[in-house]
Amino acid sequence: MSRFEIDLVWRGGDEFALRVEIAADGPTLGVVGPSGAGKTSLLEVVAGLRRGASGTLRVDGETWIDAARRIELPAEARGVGWVPQEGLLFPHWSVRRNLLAGARRARRAGRDLPGDLAQVVELLEIGHLLRRSPRSLSGGERQRVALGRALCSAPRLLVLDEPFAALDLARRRRLLSFLLRARRRLKVPMLFVSHDPVEIETACDEIVVLDGGQVRALGPARQILRTLQRPGGGVETVFDARVVARDLVQLEPGGPELHVVGAPAAGAVVVGIRADDVLLATERPIGLSARNVHSARIESISPHGMVELRLEGAASPLVAEVTSRAVAELGLEVGSEVLAIVKASALRLEPDVEASG
Amino acid sequence: MLALTLRVAAVATVCITPPAVALGYVLARRRFPGARLLSAAVGLPLVLPPTAVGFLLLDLLAIDGPLGRRTLGVDLDLLLTWKGAAVAAGVMSFPLVARTARVAFEAIDPRLEATARTLGDGRLRAFLRVALPLAAPGLVAGVVLGFTRAIGEFGATVIVAGNIPGETRTLASAIYTAQQTGDSSQGRWLIAVSVAIGLVAVWVSETLAPRPLSGAPGPPAERR
Repeated sequence: MSRFEIDLVWRGGDEFALRVEIAADGPTLGVVGPSGAGKTSLLEVVAGLRRGASGTLRVDGETWIDAARRIELPAEARGVGWVPQEGLLFPHWSVRRNLLAGARRARRAGRDLPGDLAQVVELLEIGHLLRRSPRSLSGGERQRVALGRALCSAPRLLVLDEPFAALDLARRRRLLSFLLRARRRLKVPMLFVSHDPVEIETACDEIVVLDGGQVRALGPARQILRTLQRPGGGVETVFDARVVARDLVQLEPGGPELHVVGAPAAGAVVVGIRADDVLLATERPIGLSARNVHSARIESISPHGMVELRLEGAASPLVAEVTSRAVAELGLEVGSEVLAIVKASALRLEPDVEASG
Repeated sequence: MLALTLRVAAVATVCITPPAVALGYVLARRRFPGARLLSAAVGLPLVLPPTAVGFLLLDLLAIDGPLGRRTLGVDLDLLLTWKGAAVAAGVMSFPLVARTARVAFEAIDPRLEATARTLGDGRLRAFLRVALPLAAPGLVAGVVLGFTRAIGEFGATVIVAGNIPGETRTLASAIYTAQQTGDSSQGRWLIAVSVAIGLVAVWVSETLAPRPLSGAPGPPAERR
């Protein structure tokens, strides 16, 4: 049984205040929230890459931060296995040498390094990559090596900062299974930031929802994913879109067109669709007021009713939430063709600041 | 004369490289008050007339100057010696090496060093294992540029060290002397040597100049 306790306040550019204590056999804390919620600050403070937070941080009985006692271990003394979104492999070293980058710490911790390396290589199926240069790896391979590098460094806490966000869905799911395998075998506590409700739900014991630096919700994963549906929370899928006509937006280039309310006259927008605003139907309804009815294929169904759909023509999936009874009665399964229905007024629109510069 | 020139340039380059690289790294990585001022001060020899730099050095090293015999109690023996020529050449080359080093370090994602630190490396070790080898091509290019600059240094050198045959007459001052004395065959031969050295240096630094790494991570602004 290992545990970690976080009671931190950070007053920097991207603020947060967080108090959480979790204990489990390889406990995993998921961190979710919109951009600018303070997730990255939290991870960097925990990893020791940003200094000056107040409060305390204890991992497995060891104090990393105790501001009152002026304790703040430097990053290199903490034992964090860091897996960032882009992998950040050392480009001048082979994959093998990257995996051994934290060898010194592992030896000091008394780990059997060749044994750990062999186990990680087998677990992540990267044996054929060992002599390669990181520059020649695909995105998924790179992330597996980054995870392996962290695991080989005798980490006391794995810190995963949207490690799979740059990958397509199939690779993401595959890497998630690698991560779960590693967690089962190595039992390292994890701090896991992700935008993907399915990843969070499968990988995490506890979830904290950060928004504007404040904890919006905190608790066991399943419970939180349910309570998230109250106003202001909620699992929401976000698409990049463009206004193509009056109150009509196109999701991603070449994607489906959706009716919205109150769109700007033109330009790039971000469209948010809350999971509980999406209805599923197996037959095309008649006499329906909802403006958006689109064919979609089901890509995955979680035990708690989170359904990932691929709208016809869309590049990324949409998450819908239905009850498990609905899943059973409609006979929904992976690969089923359904109709996804969303009211025009339920779509959240925001001007796309990044795209418009 | 050629041996003396190479010795002066080599000593100057070897002495300035560690501090210039260190300074380039600090300027590339740290934000601190006065960073711009420091950067400007370091770059000054690039924009001042070399004779002005020589003049200032002479003031500094004169018997009564801050680094003179009376002030220090020991004679550094730099005026009118080959060591003085090395000091002048070093001061003139320093900004070139420091600036190329800075550019080389700026091309490296600082999060790579942060990652090394999470893996247990202290700041110095992260620098030695990650930043330094990744910046090495750019650093070597900078050192080559600095070395060539030191070989060609004339204005500051001639003021501090003079132009004494066999003692402080370097390639650059020898060319000047050849021109002044009307010995044009000697002058052409010396220029041919300079051209050869220059071509090699430019070729080396072009070959090693920092290139964007393929598959390098995007800028931090892309993070959501």
